[in-house]
Amino acid sequence: MPSSRSSRKGLYLLSRYRLPYLLLLPAVVVLVVFLAWPLGSIFYFSLRETPLGGASIFVGLDNFALLLSENRFLNNLAASLRYLVGVLALSVPLAYLAAILVSSRLRGAGIFRTVFMLPWIIAPVVSSILFRTMVDPYSGPITAALEWLTGEKFLFLVKPDLAVLSIVVHSAWRSFPFEMLLIAAGLTAISPELYDSAKVDGAGAWSQFRYVTLPLTRNQLFVAVLLITIWTLQDAEGVYSLTQGGPGYVTEVAGVRLFKEAFIYFNIGIGSAIGVVLILLSILFMILYLRVIGAGESQ
Amino acid sequence: MGNRRLNRRQLLRIGTLGLAGLGLGACTGATATTAPAAEAPPAAAAEPVTIKWAHYFDPLQSPAQKFNFEWMERMASTFEADHPEVKIEPEYFDWDRIDDRAIMDFEAGIKHDVVFGSPQLMAKHFEVGDFIDLAPYMAGWSDEEKTDLAWSPVWASGSNGDVQIAVPTGVHTRSLAYRRDMFEAAGLDPDTPLTSLDECLAAAQALTTDDVYGLGMSFGPARGTIELYFGPLIWHFGGELWDPEAKEASFASEAGIQAANFIHDLVYTHKVTPESAIGGTYDDAILVAFLEGRLAMGWGFGSYWIVSLEEGGFVKGCFPATDACAVDTGGVMVTPTAPGAQFTNGWTLSVHALSEHPQEAFTFMEHLIKPDSLYDFPDAGLPARLSLWDRPEFQSDFYQTWLEAAGKGRPMPATVHYAELADTAAACLQEILVMEEPVEDTLTRFQDEYNSKYAGK
Repeated sequence: MPSSRSSRKGLYLLSRYRLPYLLLLPAVVVLVVFLAWPLGSIFYFSLRETPLGGASIFVGLDNFALLLSENRFLNNLAASLRYLVGVLALSVPLAYLAAILVSSRLRGAGIFRTVFMLPWIIAPVVSSILFRTMVDPYSGPITAALEWLTGEKFLFLVKPDLAVLSIVVHSAWRSFPFEMLLIAAGLTAISPELYDSAKVDGAGAWSQFRYVTLPLTRNQLFVAVLLITIWTLQDAEGVYSLTQGGPGYVTEVAGVRLFKEAFIYFNIGIGSAIGVVLILLSILFMILYLRVIGAGESQ
Repeated sequence: MGNRRLNRRQLLRIGTLGLAGLGLGACTGATATTAPAAEAPPAAAAEPVTIKWAHYFDPLQSPAQKFNFEWMERMASTFEADHPEVKIEPEYFDWDRIDDRAIMDFEAGIKHDVVFGSPQLMAKHFEVGDFIDLAPYMAGWSDEEKTDLAWSPVWASGSNGDVQIAVPTGVHTRSLAYRRDMFEAAGLDPDTPLTSLDECLAAAQALTTDDVYGLGMSFGPARGTIELYFGPLIWHFGGELWDPEAKEASFASEAGIQAANFIHDLVYTHKVTPESAIGGTYDDAILVAFLEGRLAMGWGFGSYWIVSLEEGGFVKGCFPATDACAVDTGGVMVTPTAPGAQFTNGWTLSVHALSEHPQEAFTFMEHLIKPDSLYDFPDAGLPARLSLWDRPEFQSDFYQTWLEAAGKGRPMPATVHYAELADTAAACLQEILVMEEPVEDTLTRFQDEYNSKYAGK
């Protein structure tokens, strides 16, 4: 009888709150169509082989087995992690500096706010072409300046280390404005009295940052780092436009490999399997960050 | 309670309005769908037809593309003037993505009409079926008309038995472009063609100075790397990129090792080829560098760049071809590889399988491949029509060199997985060059990885 009672209760609730549920329906439909369906599709296709112009067949975990047996895919994952660490290491300090600048009462802070947002609003493909132009070995202003300073020609898209540096700098340059916005929002919520009392206690600039700013912007930092992690792990267009994954497979991050497999080679199954791996990696990072944040808060 | 009652009323009103709207929509829909069937008007004649033309001409991409873009606009306007009932709507796609887009859009139900295509990807188009068979539309063509176009390997790439899915718009072959003035300055005879790789290397060494590289090549992450450099050199040394019998990659051979070593030595031992060629685009590494005087010789110089040689003053009266065509400070010679060890292709035209107006699309295609249309199409490279080669303006030494180069050419392997093969071989060569990886092991590793997925397919 308890089940019939609970179902009656459910029907009562549905009847009682029909209008709220009805108003929620469009959002639910949008979520299902644009989120749940594509997500389900990616898992579905990752278990199938879909030849062009033919019917797809169920292959179980073969696509994953093939990927994991490849040196190339392991290299893709390593390149993705390298890329992620580089982007975060460069963009987070930059974002803090920019956030402190735009939240300050300095004259012209508003101009900085606008200027710093420019990388965020430029399309990745456009900024990649801009970067390519700037590091062109013959006409790029960056290479020309470096050659003038050092007497050496810097081949940014040829030397493996420089190619990695190029994609990291490009992505960090694009990412920091978003992080800056979130951190700046956190900064404005910190009471100035906290800094005053820190000064009274003899705290210098670094100590004020270490013991006041950083702990009180931890939540904003967490959201920013989490989102940038997910975007960077899945980034394909920025890297592809800049290096196409080269030289060799040095900058072929998993997102670029996914793009090539799915949209150039039309290996939808393998492309979907890479997508699933990237989703799992993103979830893993989310759990990791939550734990780190949780540990920090308990301290 | 009052609120609930009001909400019900509102819902009722919304529902009523919705039903009324649906009913109205259904009525109008019915009118719209049934009316043409009932009255059966000659829709094609009365309604203007829009033909979507998928092209790759971006006037900002390279100096040569500006001229292609102008040609495209001229072709569209002349056709529209002759066929007022047809409107041409150009659609731009990146040149190395246009085939993929045709395939993807076919799968996604997105319609195009006339589409440019690449011969090396025709195997994939056959597999997918995104281009229609043109044979029924060409039934009215005379034998001479067909023979006029069917002489080059470009036509053959679009054929499968009696089915023809593509027709050529030109012949793309490559030669060794060289600076005659630099040859003279280095004490070399600009009128004596180089006939072997050793001679080519010796000339490159003599031509290399602090500001100029003797021999330009391009090893970027693109198909051009195997089509114009790695592939032809493997063929030159007696190997193959792909085994058509076993349907598997075969570049990790003795010839592959020789080809990779030859390229490596050009860059790092003899230093006659710039290291920047490994990361740049083909256009930048060859055309732009040659035009700017940073290269004395450009290997893989395309016949589609003749217009740029003319604009740069390296040749005179050669584009459009005239009787007075003559070389000035620059010239071309046949690349000194073995016979059959060069790549020849050319852009093709096809009608997309989702075209709603295949007849009009084919008529537009016929307009584009008319002798007078192809005559000044910069990206034709060389005439696709054999009859054009009989004209006096193509009898100059300059054009006869190109004809000889075209005769030496061959197509790329006809595999459905050509893009994967090209990318794999290009990435392999790049690793050998920039990471100083052992040549044989690296070739084998990349070949095995390709074959583990595609062997036999």
